[in-house]
Amino acid sequence: MTAASIPRLARGCRLSETAAQGWVLLIPEGVLRLSGPGPRILQRCDGSRTFGDIVRELEGEFAGAAAGRVESETSAFLDRLAQRRIIVTE
Amino acid sequence: MRPQALIAEITHRCPLHCVYCSNPLAMRPRGEEMDASVWARIFREAAELGVLHVHLTGGEPAARADLEELVRAGRSANLYVNLITSGIGLSEQKLDALIAAGLDHLQISFQDAEESAANEFAGARAHARKLALAEVARTRSVALTVNAVMHRRNLERLDAIVAMAERMGADRLEVANVQYYGWAIENRDKLLPTRRQLGACVAAVEAHQQRLLGRMRIDFVPPDYFARYPKACMGGWGRSLMVVDPAGWVLPCHAAGVIPDLRFENAQLRPLGWIWEESAAFRRFRGEDWMPEPCRSCERRHEDFGGCRCQAMLLTGNPNATDPVCSLAPDRKLVDAAIARANAAGGDGTGWVYRIDPA
Repeated sequence: MTAASIPRLARGCRLSETAAQGWVLLIPEGVLRLSGPGPRILQRCDGSRTFGDIVRELEGEFAGAAAGRVESETSAFLDRLAQRRIIVTE
Repeated sequence: MRPQALIAEITHRCPLHCVYCSNPLAMRPRGEEMDASVWARIFREAAELGVLHVHLTGGEPAARADLEELVRAGRSANLYVNLITSGIGLSEQKLDALIAAGLDHLQISFQDAEESAANEFAGARAHARKLALAEVARTRSVALTVNAVMHRRNLERLDAIVAMAERMGADRLEVANVQYYGWAIENRDKLLPTRRQLGACVAAVEAHQQRLLGRMRIDFVPPDYFARYPKACMGGWGRSLMVVDPAGWVLPCHAAGVIPDLRFENAQLRPLGWIWEESAAFRRFRGEDWMPEPCRSCERRHEDFGGCRCQAMLLTGNPNATDPVCSLAPDRKLVDAAIARANAAGGDGTGWVYRIDPA
């Protein structure tokens, strides 16, 4: 993930807020239960924001985080999802 | 314990006659099929139970004229809607209508990459029409899975099948080896692969998975006859899945009708939540109390939940038996004998038992 990458959810992958299970990411043949900043990251993967934009916005929300930590953790999270073709980048 | 997915067999009618069809040998006739309004209620009850995915399957779901209404009902119930189809009966216009109604995921079955072989296994001239639908789906907003059904007669063409799925721009390829239930049991001697074929397939799948990482996900379903330990069938009996047949009968597994002493309940007469929690069929093999040795004291019992009850019934005549595919099962010799017999029989294009259509 580079600052200019534009990550978005792959087709057939969508966020859903459920009464019993909270935020889940529905994917073909599977479900990922999201916790922590997961939903807030994925809500921003809408095809309009760059990875740099997303990190800046999250840093605003997690103002107490150590320098670079939001970027490295968000990048690792999205890279893992990209390997499973849940996130695609342009 | 909450069900995660509902498998909705909305019809048993199908224009294909696949030699490994997983439908039961005794199918529900058209006259018993439930209306879309009843299905809509079942989907809402399922969502209340915690179900997140509905898999619309059949038979061929597109054999129903009200498929669009069923997709909309699933999505309205806040479910993720997957359509498992042969592709026959879905025009470009119809697919677009389903997408507009909320379809999330389209899963098209393929019998082979080679047309004449594919049509032979399907018992119908279906391959070219499947290709045409996949070409439409390539540019649409639904996820596309190519479900390739594998067996002795087509495992050699795995590379061609992967290449076909790549050309289609599929998001996901399921390399699904035939499981031996329903019609597949009738054709088992002609379908079971050799150990050597399977080994080559496993290695090739791993190489393709690495090569296509992030571009196309490949899921591999092995034929469990060759496994050392049984599969966690249905994720465990009554643990995460429920099947509703075209007439509303609710089963813990689509093959569960082969177990003679199970009493099924009907979703038209009983709430789905009660059927899940309380019905005798769902409780019968839930948990560990039913387990014989060696399962009962096996440390793997929390992983495979004792394997497949339907397979135990089909192969040993006793649904309580340890799944005979397990290397620790007293009846493993039955599976080894089936493999040896099939491998000795060889196989050509004659003598298939084709799936028939329900009344």
